[in-house]
Order: sequence, then structure tokens, then C-alpha cells
Amino acid sequence: MNARCARLLASLPEADFRPPRGRRAVLSNGLTVHLLKDATLPVVHLTAFVRTGKICDPADRIGLGEMTAALLKDGGTLNYKAEEMDRTLEYLAASLESYLGIEEGRAGLTVLKKDLPAVLSIFSDMLMRPAFAPEKTELKRAELLELVRRRNDDPARQAVREALRSFYGPAHPYGWRAEEASLSAVTADDMKAWHANYYRPDNVILAAAGDFGSEEGMLRGLEAGFAGWKPGGTVSPGIPPVELPAGRRVFHIQKDVPQASIVLLLKALKRHDPREFPLAVANEMLGGGLSSRLTAEIRSRLGLAYSVYSYFVKKPDYGYTLAYCGTSPGSVGRALSEMLRQFSLMGEKAPPAEETARARNALINSFVFRFPTPFDLLTERANYEYYGYAPSYLDDYVRNIAGVSPEDVLSAGRELLRPDDAMVLVVGDARKLDRPLSEFGPVTELPGD
Amino acid sequence: MRRRQRPARASRGLPPGASEEKDPRYPPVVSCTLSNGLRLLVLEKKFVPTASFTIVFNVGNVDNPQGKTGLAHMFEHMAFKGTRTINSAGYAREKPALDRVEAAALALARAERSPRPDPARLEKLRAALASAQRRADALSVKDEYLKIYNALGENGLNAMTSTDYTGYVVSLPADRLEAWMAIESDRFKNPVLREFYREREVVAEERLMSDSDPNRLLWDVLMANAFTAHPYRNPTLGWPDDLAGLSRSDAEEFYRTYYVPNNAALSVVGDARPAEVVRLAEKYFGGWRPGELPSRCYTEEPEQRSEKLVNLFFKASPALRIGFHNPGMAHPDIYPLIMAGEVLSGGKTGRFYRRLVEGRQLALYAGAWAAAPGSRYPSLFAVAADPKAPHTLEELDAAVMDEITGLASEPPTRWELEKVINNYETELIRQLESNPGLGMSLAQNEAVMGDWRFDWKIGDGLRRVKPEDVSAAAARYLVRPNRTAVFLREPPEKGAA
Repeated sequence: MNARCARLLASLPEADFRPPRGRRAVLSNGLTVHLLKDATLPVVHLTAFVRTGKICDPADRIGLGEMTAALLKDGGTLNYKAEEMDRTLEYLAASLESYLGIEEGRAGLTVLKKDLPAVLSIFSDMLMRPAFAPEKTELKRAELLELVRRRNDDPARQAVREALRSFYGPAHPYGWRAEEASLSAVTADDMKAWHANYYRPDNVILAAAGDFGSEEGMLRGLEAGFAGWKPGGTVSPGIPPVELPAGRRVFHIQKDVPQASIVLLLKALKRHDPREFPLAVANEMLGGGLSSRLTAEIRSRLGLAYSVYSYFVKKPDYGYTLAYCGTSPGSVGRALSEMLRQFSLMGEKAPPAEETARARNALINSFVFRFPTPFDLLTERANYEYYGYAPSYLDDYVRNIAGVSPEDVLSAGRELLRPDDAMVLVVGDARKLDRPLSEFGPVTELPGD
Repeated sequence: MRRRQRPARASRGLPPGASEEKDPRYPPVVSCTLSNGLRLLVLEKKFVPTASFTIVFNVGNVDNPQGKTGLAHMFEHMAFKGTRTINSAGYAREKPALDRVEAAALALARAERSPRPDPARLEKLRAALASAQRRADALSVKDEYLKIYNALGENGLNAMTSTDYTGYVVSLPADRLEAWMAIESDRFKNPVLREFYREREVVAEERLMSDSDPNRLLWDVLMANAFTAHPYRNPTLGWPDDLAGLSRSDAEEFYRTYYVPNNAALSVVGDARPAEVVRLAEKYFGGWRPGELPSRCYTEEPEQRSEKLVNLFFKASPALRIGFHNPGMAHPDIYPLIMAGEVLSGGKTGRFYRRLVEGRQLALYAGAWAAAPGSRYPSLFAVAADPKAPHTLEELDAAVMDEITGLASEPPTRWELEKVINNYETELIRQLESNPGLGMSLAQNEAVMGDWRFDWKIGDGLRRVKPEDVSAAAARYLVRPNRTAVFLREPPEKGAA
């Protein structure tokens, strides 16, 4: 680095940004609202977190929630026929959406300021009074069945999905996937019951930002829009405890494709475990970016991969750390050995202070990018409330990351990144591998469909 | 669309030559051209103290020399490998070591491409290259460029090579403005293409990844078959044989030709004062010497006179891609074609969804775009559709063609056209929400299309389109002799005819 550049860099402070709070209010029916007026552009955004998720499906109806959430938007409402909704929304260039994530239902709206009253009325009707029109239901079912038929077309996505399924077990909700039989079994009554159970105002957190006049006026509009929505009575199924065997497990899916996919999975943290901060720094160092160890070694030094990275996911029960590498079948053994070696190094000795500082700074200095707009900020606030974080979580995040030492990273490595307990899944042509997978542990063959 | 709030001080203190856009139809972008031809675009936006930085060079996959497809993309990868002072433990010592790597690589390439390669000699030359690389590596500082940005708190550090252009992007905390200027001006004034041959292996893996994904493969096969002479036929990642033969010398020559300030546009969108951006750009980029650019007249694609139907055998679910040659973005017929694409595929009220997905229920989805893969030269009006079982590709293709030819007999209604305009105008407003998205749009349109206002001007063209224009354009361009269709099918059973 030249001297001028070095001087410039040395003089830069850590990025310091205190995100504004926005306003939090609870409507008379129990619906929680986060609000922030932002008149930069004549646009209003809303997003609702609904306390449900794919993990709430009944075991013999996997896909029920996904289908229900999608049909809120596509199946019309009591007051708006589906075609009428589509025509109004698309003519006004408003976007309305409803979908189901693993642990959350989401419904959202983006609309020009001038059209807010008309479109808010459709939005609230969608959440409160969906109609599940039979012909739209069958159309959605046929679409989801076609997606099941197509789910293995992209081998990289297949690898990640099947790895999680093998990791948690196909019987655990974290490992579920919808099937032809489970989608075919879903009835209109199932969907109505699902909706009635979960889509209740006291089960929803809404974030709204944009050019909506005044916050008071917006709150009045929401009170009126959601009037008559009855709270209470939601029943959620319990999730069976996650049971993960210790020791190495290896899975293989035979597929003759130009590039093989390697997925490595390890048990990580339950949500709200304070070890998330050392794990975040450790992961940033291991596979979080272009200068991380996995990328530096497997991509830059060995030239074995274009795509190699790691990340971790928190869950109510044990989450996971996932590492991915796409490489030609003839280098799977080399790439996998190097991945395991890098995981192992994380638990062998404390990282250099400089590398730890760089990983911490990367997380701290890029923190501000979580909130590029007031709407993104409020969505984060609503998201953290939804997932039960302390109200100060966002505000304390930087301090918590700044406190992580090299020894903390080493502890995280020893406890959470042990390669001996890693589950490995490879999608690729076994005949072309440079080393048999059995060298990495007992291999279970999985069907490719 | 109402006039956006503009900070009163945006234009205050601007140096001579810089000006703020005053026309309320456009955002208040401050623009200026440095004396070396580098174009600057700045839009000040506040909320969080961040800014998005973009540099776009008007050079892409179309500009590769014959036999060197993939070179533009390969250079893009090399632009992360540092400069004489970044990633180097001392360039005076490193340079001769890098020259020895290049000599060894060229000797190996000559031997590999000789009519009868001698395996023993190849082995020796490979060992010599590996040894030269190890010695050069010892004189470099691994990944320093990336580590600097990592510590600065980068977000979205990336680059992209398309047929038409190459773009380099990053977002940073706003007080990193000068650091960005210092690093990026050095990056493009003094690049050192170290680790070239290992990076070529990384790109070979990128190619394998692309070849494993049926969607990407379909697009590559469509372009390779629809174009016979124009370089839009070449995949951005390069043909495997070309990629395997690229050298560092090739990339350096490419850099000297196209990476000149008069071939680039730079944008800063976010919490940055325009006067400060212009002042720092002068300071850091001002000394970059311009160059004379070659002519970019490539073989014009001859008129297609017969329909081309291609079966792509691949183990994945069936899919259809279609391309019709369009007359290019500079031709007035492009506006009715853009309109045609939107009337067909815009949302659930688009004709494809209403009639193919919902009405006849034979498509999972169907979409249309007026210009792919690029905008600098005439390209394709493209259609993508996937059939829904048990319907076949043939049924889907026939139905898609019914809708396309139907545009001639059933012109768009006023409602259909107004819907497209409303959505386009809203998209222009929403584009302003994202700093990196807007930064890319401004720099790309300025560098490639010659005007950062290009997207807004397209809107003007769309507003003039009449229903009969769409019918006439469909009847002229969206016809069988002008079309290439690619059908992705499962490979035939072995032994079948």
C-alpha cells in the first residue's frame, strides 16, 4: 500500500451511526405498529410480520401454510374479486405481496402516496377476509406441484435443501419439504382454519414508512382499516426438540453435472445465545467475504472454486453453520479437505489480533447498510421485536461485536466449528471424484429426486 | 410525478464545468467531465451516512478480440488483484518474478497448442510455471485490496461484466469518500495482473457453475444460435478453448486499449457533497491519461431469413427460450417492442399470465424482454417460458406464438398501454430509493448509452406509442423467419433414434 493511501486509511474512524427509533404504537385490537414518516419520495411501504411459518404446518399437510399465504393475495377477498384486485393494483403500479417463510408469515405493500387509501383497503381486506376462490386455489396448487417437479433443476439449490433435510432429519419441521401428496391433501377448509388461527391482529407486527402525511393520520387510517379484526385465540404447535448426532456424517446424491456442490453443516446456536457475537466474528473470518479464509485458500490460492462461503443461521432450537463450495467433480476431495482443515484451524489457535480486528471492523462498519432507507430500518426494528430480541439489541450490536477478542473467536471455533461433527453432503458424479467420499466418513446415498 | 426535494446546497460551491440538473423531470444529478474525459455523476441523498460508488467502462464481451472471448470478464477478475503498491511487498522485486511467470505460461501455451504436444515436455513446463508462480507469490501481499475494503466496512463490493460494459461497485460509510478515490484511481491507473493463471482456473469453475444451471445454459445456447456473425453470440465467460488460452499479456493489452478515463463514467450516490466529490475526483483521477479508442464496428448481424429451432438436451425440466432480432435501441421501433413485451408479460393482467398461465394453464410462467443480451447493438426480443406438466413444449410454444402474433390482430387497449406507462414511471421513482441501484443505472447509461437520463427518455418514447404501432412492430419483427427457439429437453434414451 502506498504511503498516502496508508495515511488516509489510518485516519479513518469506525463508522458511527445510531439508527433512529421510529415510533411504536399498539392499535386497539392489539396490532403492533412501527412508524416513521419519510417524505423523500412520494412512496409508502408497509410490511407485516405474522407469527406463523412453514414450521407450523401439520405433518401431513406440508405446504398448507405456503399455499394459504400465497392465496391471500391471489385468491381474492370478501370485498374484492381476485381479478379486480390484480387490475387495480397493476394499473396503479402498486405491489402487494403475501408469502410464508420458515418462521414467519409476511405481507407487504408498496404504493404511490396518492393511491395509499385505495390500496390500504385492499391490503387490510387481504389480511382479514381472504376468499380462497376455488379456481385460484387449484391454479396455485398446480403451480406449487410444478415447482416440486422442478426443484432439482439447479444442483446447487438442491444440495443446500437436501443437506438441511438430512441434517435435521426429514421428520423434523426444520428439515421438511412439501411433496406432491402433502400439497394435494390441502383443502379449502384447511386454509380457512390456518388463516383464522394465525392471521389475527395481536399476532401481527406491522412496519410502515414513507410519505403518508402524518404519523397520527396513518395510525388513524390503520385503526379504521383494521377495525373489526378480532384478536386472540391463536394456537401454535410446539416444535419437537432438535436432535443432532455427534460425529461425521456424509451424504451423496448421484448427479452427472459439470460442477459438483459440497455443503458442510454444523450445529450452531439457539436464538438469543450471547455466543452469536463471537460466532459472527469467527464466521466473518472463516467464510464471510472475499478476503475470508475459505475464499482466500480455496478460491484465490488453490483456484478450485468460484463460489465458496459460509454463514450461520439462528433458530429457536439449534441453528446451523453452513459452508458451500462449487467445484469440478475431479477436485471435490481436495476442496472438501481444505474446507475441513479451515474449520479445524478455527479451533486450534486464536486468530492474529489484526485478523480479528478486521473481521470485527467489517461487521461494525457495514452495520449501517442494514438500514439504507427508513423503511429498511423499521423493518429491522419490527423483525427484532418479532424474534423476541431486547429492544436495545440493534443499538447494542456494535458494542457487542467490538468486545469480541481473539480468545472468544477461538472458543467459538472449539465449541461450534468442530469438523469432526460436520455433516457433509455432495451432489455430483461419484465416478469422477478425485477421492472416494468414504475417506471423509460413512457415506449414505440419497435418492436424486 | 412530483418534483423531488432537493438539497439547496447541492449546487453551491460547484467548480466550473460542473452543473446540477434543473429540469424537474430528472433527479438533480450533478455532472461534470474531467479534462481527461472521465464523466462524473453525483446525487446527494441523506438518511444514513453511506454512499454507493460505481465505475462503468464502456467495454464488454462484444469488444474481445477474435479468439479471445471471455477476456473482458477475465480482466474484471484481475482488477481485484491489486496495483504496484497494493498487494505487493515491493514491486521492483515482484515485477521480474511476474515476468518470469508470464514467460513460463506463454511457453506452456505454445507447447500445449503445438500440433503434437509432447507430454513429458508439457509436464516440465507446467512444473516450471508452478515454480515461477510460487516465487512471485512470495513477493505479493495476498488479498490486500480485499482486506482494505473489508476493514473499511464495504457493502456489496463487486464487479460485473456484460456484453456491453464492465462495472465496478462498492458501498461504504460516507466518510470513506477520499479513501475510495485513492484506492480506485490507483486500481485503474496502476493495475498489476498478478495471480493471472490461478484466477483463470477460478473463472473456469465459474464456467462450470454456469453450465450446471439449465437457465444460464439456455440463454447461452439461445444467443449462440440466434446470432451468427455479431459477437453477441459469444458467452460472457468465454468459450472454454478461448478461456484456456488467455494470457496475462492479452489482458494487459486489453486494459491499455479500453481502460482509459475517456471510456468511463463514475457515479457517487448517497451522503456525499457534489463539490467535494468533484474536487477529489480531480485530485485522484485527474492525472489519468486518456487514450484513443478503437472503432467498435463489429460484423453486423445479417438478416435472419429462416426460423431456427434448437433442441438442448439436458437433464432438467423442460423449458423454452425464444429470440427475435430487434432493430436496436436507437431505432424508433424499439418503443413499440418494449411496449409489446410489457403488454405480454406485465404481471397477472399481462396477456401471457391471463391466457397461458391462468386461462389455458399450460405455462408455469412466461416473460418477455425487448432487448437482450445488450443495448449497444441490435439484440433480441426475448421470451422465456416453462411448461406446466402434462403440457408439452410444443403446446407451450404454439400458445406463446399465438399471443405474440395476436398482438397484430388484437392491438393493446388503452388500459394496457396506460398500465405499462404507470408502472414504468413508478419504477423510475422507486429506482431512486436504492443508492447502489441508482448509481449503477446512472453510470451505465452515461458510459454506454451516452446519457445518464436514458431511462427517463425511454419513458418519453413509450408515452408516444399508439396501439397500432405495437401491432405493426409485432407484425414486422416477431415473426417466424426472424426467430430462434431453444427447447430444453431430457436427453433421449440411449438406443433411441
